[in-house]
Amino acid sequence: MIEIETLSVRFGGIKPIDQLTAMLSAPVSGLIGPNGAGKTTLLNVLSGFVRPVEGAIKLDGRSLLALSPLQRVRAGLRRSFQTEQVVEDLTTRDNLAALADNVASVGERSRTTDRALEFVGLGSVAHRLGARLNLFERRLVELGKCLIGTPRLILLDEPAAGLTDEEGARLRDLVLAIPDAFGAQVVVIDHDVELIRAMCAETLVLDYGKRLALGNTETVLADPAVRRAYLGEL
Amino acid sequence: MNTQGTLLPAAVPLAAETVVRKQRPLFAIAFAMAVFSTAIALLANAFWLSALTSAMALSLSVAGVAVLYGQLGLVSLCQFALVGVGGWVTLRIGHGFQPPFEVSLLAGGVVAALIGLLFGVPALRLRGLYLALVTLMLAGAFQIVISAWGFPDGGPGFLGRADGVGRSMLARPALATEAIPYFLYCAFIATLGLILVQAHKITRPGRAWALIRKGETVAIASGVNVLAYKAWAFALSGFLAGIAGGLLAGNVGQLEGRAFSAFESLNLFALATVGGAFHWYGAVIAGLLLRALPALLTDLGIDGYVTIGIFGVALFHALATAPTGIAGKIANLLARFTKGGER
Ligand SMILES: Nc1ncnc2c1ncn2[C@@H]1O[C@H](COP(=O)(O)OP(=O)(O)OP(=O)(O)O)[C@@H](O)[C@H]1O
Ligand SMILES: [Mg+2]
Repeated sequence: MIEIETLSVRFGGIKPIDQLTAMLSAPVSGLIGPNGAGKTTLLNVLSGFVRPVEGAIKLDGRSLLALSPLQRVRAGLRRSFQTEQVVEDLTTRDNLAALADNVASVGERSRTTDRALEFVGLGSVAHRLGARLNLFERRLVELGKCLIGTPRLILLDEPAAGLTDEEGARLRDLVLAIPDAFGAQVVVIDHDVELIRAMCAETLVLDYGKRLALGNTETVLADPAVRRAYLGEL
Repeated sequence: MNTQGTLLPAAVPLAAETVVRKQRPLFAIAFAMAVFSTAIALLANAFWLSALTSAMALSLSVAGVAVLYGQLGLVSLCQFALVGVGGWVTLRIGHGFQPPFEVSLLAGGVVAALIGLLFGVPALRLRGLYLALVTLMLAGAFQIVISAWGFPDGGPGFLGRADGVGRSMLARPALATEAIPYFLYCAFIATLGLILVQAHKITRPGRAWALIRKGETVAIASGVNVLAYKAWAFALSGFLAGIAGGLLAGNVGQLEGRAFSAFESLNLFALATVGGAFHWYGAVIAGLLLRALPALLTDLGIDGYVTIGIFGVALFHALATAPTGIAGKIANLLARFTKGGER
């Protein structure tokens, strides 16, 4: 469970997150909003790369802001990036192992890497170099990395961007299976409202860094304010 | 899939196969180096043997620079200064306490690793051109210090300078006092060093370096302690330079302060890119370019300064058209003959 309280971020003159208070507790939650709404910034605050000017965040009751980014990873926070970050000259398996090196005990590394590989279905390309993977495989590598060790909170920044509908559907099924298989909470950013509808029980809508709506995904998506600010512009 | 793989029981997970795959390059290094150095030991005369012994030693220091540049994209222009540090300490310990050569050598490596770590401190904040400039200044500072101090040659005091009479040579290792055994000794240690580097590249440090190369944010998000892994790269690079310096000191028995100018560090880095910073044999090629090419020109009666011109052209060629160096070209060629490209 993530509890965000009066969180504000300032970049010079602008406030990409403005007095945000929200609680996310669904196994898979959605985070949507127009371009520049502050979605990625919120992820950066959660993972520790951006320091807020005010506010507090608790993950499962434990204060998050006191931890360094590295400590958060060790505490089970995982994230993917809006632009995929697969290392070209490492194999698929080594891309995952690179994380296992740092978050799993020596005896566990190989097992957790293989489990993640198998879960996302990349076993057959385990020894292929990152440079030779297609976009879908890259997105799966990113997802697989989030499953290494003992993940507790997984933040996915537009994991389905650029994928075909079929690939997006496969990704959706994987994401939906994560909470039960790995015991982690997942937060997904995506612009594809149908994907969010299919994946997320609960959704937070941001607009200009403020909370526009939060709650049951269907209810939120039906909210006139959300339709005006977000869906309307599609 | 090789036959070895099919013999494994089906239940063995990916990991077992990975181990088999990954150790192959380590054996390849040992095998190639054994063949190469045996051929040289059988064929070379005294003049060439001395040059190739230095080449072997220097290939170690190039392997160090290649770790920083190839793995982390860091341009360090003080590597030859660290070779000097290793040489100085090896001579100092060797003359001062007369321990087995290996002890002096190891001391040289360790001290150079520490100094390398110290030189690397700016890199934790700087990168690109700024790091290059700062390390070049450090190489310049070393040049000034070493021209004033000179290298120890059996004299008294901290600096160990005998001056004039009473200069003594550092004894070579007991099991390799003659030229051919000493060449093989250096080749053996160079092989160990190259294997050490390769082992780093294909295991945990290599994966961490790859992530840092990709971007520090990504590395941190993957749990990599960026500072520690950068520092480790500098220490490893310094260690290899120090060992190279110790081996050079053992080759002739002494070192000349004049030979350790900042230009040599610049040259070493340039040739590391010409040889190829991304493949293990790039370091061997660079070592040969640094010491065997000048020897060849001397053998042919051509002025040694011509090498600088040749290096300049080679560097230009590498920068303009072959960023992976000669080794990269060889690797491409090899890849055409093997079915793969898979790795
Ligand atoms: N490092 C930064 N420095 C200054 N401004 C920034 C920085 N990062 C983001 N911003 C600004 O903060 C605002 C929110 O950006 P953010 O990336 O969080 O949006 P987003 O909701 O993820 O958008 P998108 O859907 O396009 O990914 C934008 O106006 C952006 O220009
Ligand atoms: Mg974004």
